[in-house]
Amino acid sequence: MSARARKTFSSLPLRALDGMVVVRMLLLLLAGLFLGGIIHIAIVLGVPGQVPESAYARVAAFGPDGVFNRLPDVEAGAEPLPMLDPMMLHAACRFDLGEGPLKIEAALPPPFWSFALFDAGGRAIYSLNDRTSGAGGRLEVLVLTTEQLSVLRENPPEGLEDLIVIETDALHGYALLRAFDGEPLLRERIETAMAQATCRRL
Amino acid sequence: MTLALSHDPETDGLRPDRVPSILRRRRRALALDLAIVIAIAMSVGFSSAYLAVERAPAFGALRLGAWEARPRQGTRDADPYSTATHARTGRVPLAGGEGLMFLAETDSDGNTLSPRCDYEISGQAAPARLWTLVALDREMRLVADGSPRSGVDSRHLLRRANGEFVITAAPRARPGNWLPTSGTARGLVLALRLYDTPLTTGTGVANVPMPEIRRGLCR
Repeated sequence: MSARARKTFSSLPLRALDGMVVVRMLLLLLAGLFLGGIIHIAIVLGVPGQVPESAYARVAAFGPDGVFNRLPDVEAGAEPLPMLDPMMLHAACRFDLGEGPLKIEAALPPPFWSFALFDAGGRAIYSLNDRTSGAGGRLEVLVLTTEQLSVLRENPPEGLEDLIVIETDALHGYALLRAFDGEPLLRERIETAMAQATCRRL
Repeated sequence: MTLALSHDPETDGLRPDRVPSILRRRRRALALDLAIVIAIAMSVGFSSAYLAVERAPAFGALRLGAWEARPRQGTRDADPYSTATHARTGRVPLAGGEGLMFLAETDSDGNTLSPRCDYEISGQAAPARLWTLVALDREMRLVADGSPRSGVDSRHLLRRANGEFVITAAPRARPGNWLPTSGTARGLVLALRLYDTPLTTGTGVANVPMPEIRRGLCR
């Protein structure tokens, strides 16, 4: 055994001089980098579907799905979700399009509010603000999948043309309302409007 | 059948080709090679993915002075790195139709912002219907605790006659426009959120004014 070990040791410098070994090592390195690149891409693309602490999961803590739940005020040390603006009031609604199309309605007071729709992985699907909503400061939105849209087109309900129709392939996600909390006197109106905002099946 | 296979008239009588030396290895060497490849792949793949998700590379970043924004972050065209970062941290991006968030990690001279220093933020902000300015720490958490106000907004701002403003970022209350910071926070990042701004569409980015950040007293 010891003789054999000595033999391999003495043959090492000879093998290192072999040009083939260098080429071989480079090829191994290249193969490793290539495989590493595949692992890198797989992880980065896989993260949004795998994280337990996603914003979508955290929104569930503030109330039941299918209604707008007022998020607690954004304060240092007690942020309901990371990276929310402390000078805004927020309400969020989790949805499941598998149960049918979703209709979102809200009438928030000025000076500023905005609406954004995120999928479960945190990607923005659609967003607008009070000036681009086009309905005189009212929010009326219909969220549905492509199949639901084609079914709906055959038998359109009343007032479909007044709605903003958002077609998405994401079944799960959440809607977020933000309203600027600038005037203490307006706060009561914003709270009432957020409590009256609906997010339910059509 | 087996007989027919073992006696192929086309190859019978031919000596096998000389195998190239790179293929002429024992099985144990092959296993070693495989182990090396997998080790390299694992270390490179996992560490680079971790780094990329931890601090997403700035694809499509918009830089105006010390301020940096990522306009595509809140759209359907967000790059997979910023999507992964947002998913992992649970951060809620400002979507394109809502506005655009600018972050400043340095002052206008390029020095990293320090929570122990006062800063003067002056000039004009990019066109927006409304903007807010708050102080965050390195982990993008709010820092100004214990103060009744959390930041500064464009509707409650003292301005000069020409529309310019001066905001003092300091841990203690200041006269004029005061942005509360925390002297004990870990790092300092200023977040300027522009709501309903034409910048989200990426047009008219040239010659857009953004406030300057100058360092004041440090403790």
